Amino acid sequence: MLSKEQNERLTRVGPGTPMGDLLRRYWYPVAFARELEDWPIRKVRLLGEDFALWRTPEGGYGIIQESCPHRAASLLYGVVEVDGLRCGYHGWKFDESGNCMDQPAEPGKSAFMRHVKAFAGKAEALGGMVWAYIGPDPAPELPRFDVFVDPGFIDVGHSMLPCNWLQIMENSVDPHHVEYLHGRYFEFLGSQQGFVAPKSFQKKHLKVGFDAMEWGILKRRVLEGHTEQDDDWAIGHPLVFPHSMRVGGAGIDQMQIRVPIDDTTTWAMFYSNHHPEGLDHYPEQIYPVDYEYQWMDDKGRHIVDYIEGQDVMAWVSQGAINDRTAEHIGKSDIGVIMLRRMFKAQMARVEAGEDPTVGFTRSPHQRIELPCEKKKFGASIDFALAWLDMGSTRYSPALDTLRKIHLEAARVRGETPNSDEYATAQHVGIY
Amino acid sequence: MSDPEASDPGARVSGAHWWDPDRASHLADRPRFCPNCGNGVTGTEGISVEYWEADRRVFHTWCNTCGWSGNIVRVERMVGHEPEH
Ligand code: FES
Ligand SMILES: [Fe+2]
Ligand SMILES: [Zn+2]
Repeated sequence: MLSKEQNERLTRVGPGTPMGDLLRRYWYPVAFARELEDWPIRKVRLLGEDFALWRTPEGGYGIIQESCPHRAASLLYGVVEVDGLRCGYHGWKFDESGNCMDQPAEPGKSAFMRHVKAFAGKAEALGGMVWAYIGPDPAPELPRFDVFVDPGFIDVGHSMLPCNWLQIMENSVDPHHVEYLHGRYFEFLGSQQGFVAPKSFQKKHLKVGFDAMEWGILKRRVLEGHTEQDDDWAIGHPLVFPHSMRVGGAGIDQMQIRVPIDDTTTWAMFYSNHHPEGLDHYPEQIYPVDYEYQWMDDKGRHIVDYIEGQDVMAWVSQGAINDRTAEHIGKSDIGVIMLRRMFKAQMARVEAGEDPTVGFTRSPHQRIELPCEKKKFGASIDFALAWLDMGSTRYSPALDTLRKIHLEAARVRGETPNSDEYATAQHVGIY
Repeated sequence: MSDPEASDPGARVSGAHWWDPDRASHLADRPRFCPNCGNGVTGTEGISVEYWEADRRVFHTWCNTCGWSGNIVRVERMVGHEPEH
């Protein structure tokens, strides 16, 4: 249980708040590169502030406060020029650092210009997305995690969710929920609606472990019928501080990214890199596939007949900001406690004027490999197919392509899909 | 939260946040009383609005009690010529 004050400190992300100051030390994906090809200026809301993100004619990116420092018109309705973004209202122009470069209506070469600055961040592309940093200078390096740079077929499902980002992060250090939310509850739903829920999620957790590491918290588990030699314990997978979780298995490597848009809105993304063993090339992509996954039906009820829809139910139904003064946490919630402690410790560092030490680097690099199970829950092609059909990927316009990629790889490996999981997917009418 | 550039009057400052020195100085430096009759000009009885003219911060001030109006310029340094603008 937390006091009201502790809960506020841990959940408020706006400018001038302790958590807001910590979160401003990290980079966030804010758009798909594709979207800025469609139109070169895009609105970005991040950590409770509004920005205009634009693509320069040379292919770089700039991000500055949305509201024009002159008289507050939106810079989204601006003109992209070689050396900056010009406001559509009176033509003030700002460069990528926010410096005012022109004030067409001011007399002559007015020195006034030299006194005006728009609040500016930094933006760069990685993995088909544009990432932004809106914290103090100098900016740390944008971590180039394996999933964003490795070859594979990239598929990204995303949705705006009406809840605070922390309750989603807490779910990432809560292994026990899997056997209930994705196991027992799924099975119950299946028995009511006439389908067989995937069995792999119903296995009981015999043991869970959490280790602090430089990128976050490494989570391990031993499931019934498995041992500590299995990947789920031997390797595990990490919560990536402060906004992501790395998962994978069966040739799918995924980063789940939770971008805090403001105190009560989170952009929740599943960025998947499909590269099943057996294949060495994939259908060509100019940009990653991106699409919105559905999580609420037209009657306002959560869509819970797929894995991520179940997670979204758990995240969102806790309320816009979970009131942790009313919770009752137990031994099985130690991962959640560890995460809160880590946030507190990192906030204290930033308040003391120091850099964070977790999930943060100033060393230039090409690629960061994160530990992640390959044989998750001891499954392979069946697990991959269940992932596609029982996950948010079922909303992907590339679902068919993805299925072909995994089936072809299985064929090369000499594996045949023939399990309950596959039958289940057929039963619910996705095939 | 303080902007290291704030002490330099020539520096560019963003007004994006409530704590930005730019916003604070607008309120801190504006005339509060009419130079003619001494009544307040910041409430309902007048107006005092800052605008920039080159490097000069000008506060246009009008008093609705006595009807006086004029431009009050904040002086950072005594300079003997009209700045370019
Ligand atoms: S409001 Fe942007 S130039 Fe006037
Ligand atoms: Fe889950
Ligand atoms: Zn007066």
